[in-house]
Amino acid sequence: MSRLKKILLAIFIGFVAIQFVQPARNTNGQVLATDITTVVSVPDSVHTILKEACYDCHSNNTNYPFYAYIQPIGWLLNKHIQDGKSQLNFSDFGSLSKRRQESKLKSIANQIKDEAMPLPAYTILHKNAILAKAEKDLIISWANTAKDSLSQ
Amino acid sequence: MKRVIEIIAFSTLIVLPFAACSNDNNSTANNVDTAKTTAELPKTSVETATVSIGEIVKGYLSLKNALTVDKTKEAATAGAALEATFKSFNKAALTAEQKKVFEDVEDDAKEHAEHIGSNGGNIEHQREHFETLSKDIYALVKAFGAGQTLYQDFCPMYNDKKGAIWLSETKGIQNPYYGKKMLSCGSMKEELK
Ligand code: HEC
Ligand SMILES: [Cu+2]
Repeated sequence: MSRLKKILLAIFIGFVAIQFVQPARNTNGQVLATDITTVVSVPDSVHTILKEACYDCHSNNTNYPFYAYIQPIGWLLNKHIQDGKSQLNFSDFGSLSKRRQESKLKSIANQIKDEAMPLPAYTILHKNAILAKAEKDLIISWANTAKDSLSQ
Repeated sequence: MKRVIEIIAFSTLIVLPFAACSNDNNSTANNVDTAKTTAELPKTSVETATVSIGEIVKGYLSLKNALTVDKTKEAATAGAALEATFKSFNKAALTAEQKKVFEDVEDDAKEHAEHIGSNGGNIEHQREHFETLSKDIYALVKAFGAGQTLYQDFCPMYNDKKGAIWLSETKGIQNPYYGKKMLSCGSMKEELK
């Protein structure tokens, strides 16, 4: 075997080995009693966008793409899910205090306005998570309305 | 073997964008006393009976003053310091009623302070968090008193012209949302004792 082949073989073995370390899946399936839909009204048009563009990292149900099963990509995605959920979890939104809920809705509108979310790194591969102008406007006005409905 | 190389090359390609987005947290929580801007007012005797949120107010004001002069790094330092002040706040002396108010505000305010602390360099994002933080601090001051005279100011332009409040220790308007771009924009709404 040539030197190059040996190196490649070593990389391949390492690559195969890490495939056995699969992070736990973030898929719960059920709708919790604390889901955002139980606290504020979420029209279907809005819900569809949130599910497509945000739920992978901000809910209890990630829709795993095939490459998420290839490590180390899966690990990195997993890190995003952990970080994302610690900031905002649509599946458990109702467990927050009213003040926090309003605060999060405000942040959602801000993040969309600033084009900080969905994470740019994510939209490279998830083209359908890229929001059109009309979709952004829809989410922003929904977040504002939902926030106002809470503060009444 | 060719297939292997393909797989490895493919996966590296996919990993790259993910790896690129690990956010750099420069949360150096150095607790320098940034309260230099706060006017030193004598403490009243009534106040010693209640719990003082003076440290929190001081921290908030130095954050506000950093934003007023467009200093994002100083704002980050003040944000981190404010977060630390919240963390070390002793709730033991609070009455049940006070505790309720404090705990309602605490988690939210701490998070905003933390984000302001970790976003040195992104002053627009710091200001977004400052907007909600101001409401939190206002609620605290209303419930506890500030231990000094404060003014609630209002900027009608910020937040898509929905407006935003802030608290100040000075009567004159110095707008923390726009800094020197529109320093005198806004009006005083309420005097808080
Ligand atoms: C690829 C995963 C991912 C996707 C998809 C995603 N987020 Fe995030 N989100 C994160 C991570 C990680 C953080 C925490 C770190 C950060 O702020 O960059 C975060 C933070 C946030 C925050 C808090 C921001 C702050 O700093 O104040 C909000 C609000 C948010 N996301 C909303 C959304 C919304 C709305 C969508 C959909 C339009 C979305 N996110 C899509 C991963 C994601
Ligand atoms: Cu933030």
